[in-house]
Amino acid sequence: MRRTNLARARGATLVCAGALFIHATARAYEPATTHAGLTARAVETSRLHHLLARLGRPLGLLEPLRIGFDLFGRDERRALQARLDALDPAGGYRPGPDGVAGAAHWVVAGAVLAKTPPERGADHFLDPATGKGLYDDPGLSGVAHGVRLLFDGGTSVRGLAAGTAFTLSGKSALDWIESPDNDLGLPVFFDNWERAVSLAEPRERESALVRALLAMGGVMAVLEDAGQPAFVRNDFRGAFLQRDDGSAYEQFVAEHYGRAGLPAAAAPVSRPDITSFFASADGKGLANRTQRRFFSEGTIPADVSLERNSKAADVLRRARESLVFPSPTLSGLVLRPTQHRRYLALEGHRVLAYENNGTQVRFFLDDAVYADMARTLLPEVAGYAAGLLNHLVRASLEMSVTGNKVTVRLDGEVKQGGALRVFAEDGSGRRRELPGVAATLEPGGEVAVAVPVGAKKLAAVLRGRDAGEPFVAAGEVTLP
Amino acid sequence: MISESVKCARGRHLAKLTLAGSLAVLVSSCGPVVENAPFSARPDTLRPGDLLGPYDGLVVDGETERPLAGAVVAGAWAFERGIGLQGPAAALEATTETGADGRYRLSIPEDLPRGEGVRLRRFTLIVYRRGYVGWRSDSSFPTGEPRHDFAQRANRVRLEKWQSSFSHYRHLVFLGGGPAIRTAAAWEVQPAGLELDGASPATASRHLAEDARVGSSASLDISPLLSEDEVRGVTGYAGKFEVGKLADRASSDVYDSRHFKASDKPETYDVGLRVWAIGSEAVEAQFRKLLGELPGAVATEEMGDASLRARGGDVTGFAFLLRDKGVVMQLSCGLAQCSEPSMILRLAKLAESHLPEVKLPSPESTGLLPPSGPSLAPGGKP
Repeated sequence: MRRTNLARARGATLVCAGALFIHATARAYEPATTHAGLTARAVETSRLHHLLARLGRPLGLLEPLRIGFDLFGRDERRALQARLDALDPAGGYRPGPDGVAGAAHWVVAGAVLAKTPPERGADHFLDPATGKGLYDDPGLSGVAHGVRLLFDGGTSVRGLAAGTAFTLSGKSALDWIESPDNDLGLPVFFDNWERAVSLAEPRERESALVRALLAMGGVMAVLEDAGQPAFVRNDFRGAFLQRDDGSAYEQFVAEHYGRAGLPAAAAPVSRPDITSFFASADGKGLANRTQRRFFSEGTIPADVSLERNSKAADVLRRARESLVFPSPTLSGLVLRPTQHRRYLALEGHRVLAYENNGTQVRFFLDDAVYADMARTLLPEVAGYAAGLLNHLVRASLEMSVTGNKVTVRLDGEVKQGGALRVFAEDGSGRRRELPGVAATLEPGGEVAVAVPVGAKKLAAVLRGRDAGEPFVAAGEVTLP
Repeated sequence: MISESVKCARGRHLAKLTLAGSLAVLVSSCGPVVENAPFSARPDTLRPGDLLGPYDGLVVDGETERPLAGAVVAGAWAFERGIGLQGPAAALEATTETGADGRYRLSIPEDLPRGEGVRLRRFTLIVYRRGYVGWRSDSSFPTGEPRHDFAQRANRVRLEKWQSSFSHYRHLVFLGGGPAIRTAAAWEVQPAGLELDGASPATASRHLAEDARVGSSASLDISPLLSEDEVRGVTGYAGKFEVGKLADRASSDVYDSRHFKASDKPETYDVGLRVWAIGSEAVEAQFRKLLGELPGAVATEEMGDASLRARGGDVTGFAFLLRDKGVVMQLSCGLAQCSEPSMILRLAKLAESHLPEVKLPSPESTGLLPPSGPSLAPGGKP
């Protein structure tokens, strides 16, 4: 507890100093490098390529897609365009001046935009045990952080005075991905995945698909942060404010892996619903796994003073008592004084460094711990993100032509169906909904549709609910 | 205006003076704070460079050390803002090409973004020339490991030759870059797509050499597979054919076609045969591609390891996969010629029976897939 207070005081001092020195460079999972790289790895591991190819985008992940800014309202267009223009061209995911980028690039761009502007990251926190997002006491650090933001363009004098500055709190990650305030959230994804089939004009559908892919990336970025210990241990102060140059772990990842050097994704994870990718009672959500296995900078044990007869078990007990979160489990401490630092390990990776100088045991995280964290976490994070992507598009409509009929069947890993709509596309690519075809379709069920004269293609979309959450299935077929 | 911005940007130390001073400077729309560059000013010094620039250097062939002209050079300046949480704020890009002497130069950008708290966080140089591995100032291909040999001035870029084992998809991901780089590397999209479809990098990259091999003595020749008389025997057609090759794609050592063009008759009397001999791995991808993209394609189990039927307009199609031979055959037949569904199947079986008469490329030399989309048209028009 003493350490916590000291840390707070030190943090506050540094915060004020930072306000003077202005150029603090704290690192979250850096959007332009780490999030971009993780998302790219997840996308290439997912089934998105083949799905897009089946939906009339033959190049799949590489399909060039244009966003139609003129199709948006003025405010939405300005906001989105300004954020896209801010993306680093070196990353490859910023659309060209013509508004065109590859399908995979749009997903990656969405992941970066999820933290553009950076304050959006405050809504990426999730304590899997409580379901809470970032929360904090409105103490000195909070005010001081507001002062720093003032100099950083994050707020205004009036905003700060009115209390609207960043108060070290935010929505939980799970609330944020569902929030109507989030232009890269699940509602936007599902709406636009559906509109990418149902809208009349080809460029409208293409633009809707871009919006869906951006939102897909946005949701993936929120999940990826559940693989960053600070985000699941409510550790904004310790991880982001304690050092003037930000989270050492995230800096380590950005510097050692960049965007292109991130490890390949683990196998896509399968979970029963979207929430359980983040947190679940079975402990297999990414936030559960990360919180249970890793410390963040501000949630390590306090230093323990040694007495003459101190034993390792005593030190461990006192260290455990200082923990805000009960895990990772501390064990295996060696008390013998030495010049060298030692490590506590869990499941084969180093989770905590410590040194015994004869009078106290000091706990800390160092590059060796960060290296083990990164090696363990990064492939897993990308595997979860790939799994979430697969989950979002898990249902599909299989369409086959027999004579003058097209049969539509709902396939995929869903147990419930939904409302089906079918569209005929003419030679110019324009679609119109077929009247009288709307039906409820259950998994494994089929609907036969007569092919209208002059149609070149039939497309179908189904919107339903499964496992308590929405889903959209799409399909199309070129007619003989 | 520019120099004022730059001076302002370089005057970040002004901001360290006092809180009031900081506020005054920042609120007065100062240029960006410039972070420390992670690279040196020149290769022969440890003095850090300046993220703003200017940048210059030489692009050479990694083997011969000779200057490379015509390499696309793109520089990107990334600006960020935010404390605690930070993210993109603005970006600038400049592009050029190396001259005959292999040299490039990028000036300090104009119109630096203004605004409170904007920091110049990164500069990235990307160099690309077809036939070589792309070069980035921050990481190297294919490992993605951080690069430490970049310098702001007198930089030396050694481009390594492309190797067929490299993945075009991974290369494109690595490369990144804005419109200029994307345009220069656009040709890699197709082999990258083939990789995503299931072909190995070597298989997909073999596509690069295809044009050069077209018409070579090693070209695949499928003329033994089907004759005019055999077509007539199956369909009962009494007219003449002009026999040639389909026009939509040139023959090569792994692809060939036959076009039985019915003399003085419409296309609905034509018969087309396409054969890809591209090895067991790539034929799977090619067959899936046909199944996914031919109009009305439906998988059947009539021949080979897998087969499909398709129909577009007045043309019927049939394709089958011979996995162990690494071959996919696709027949197209107008409905005036193939008036019954069984006819095209019989033509396919005849073609398969003659396959031993065709000299197929060895497995290790196969690896092409068609650059054009699948077509049913027997006349070879997609």
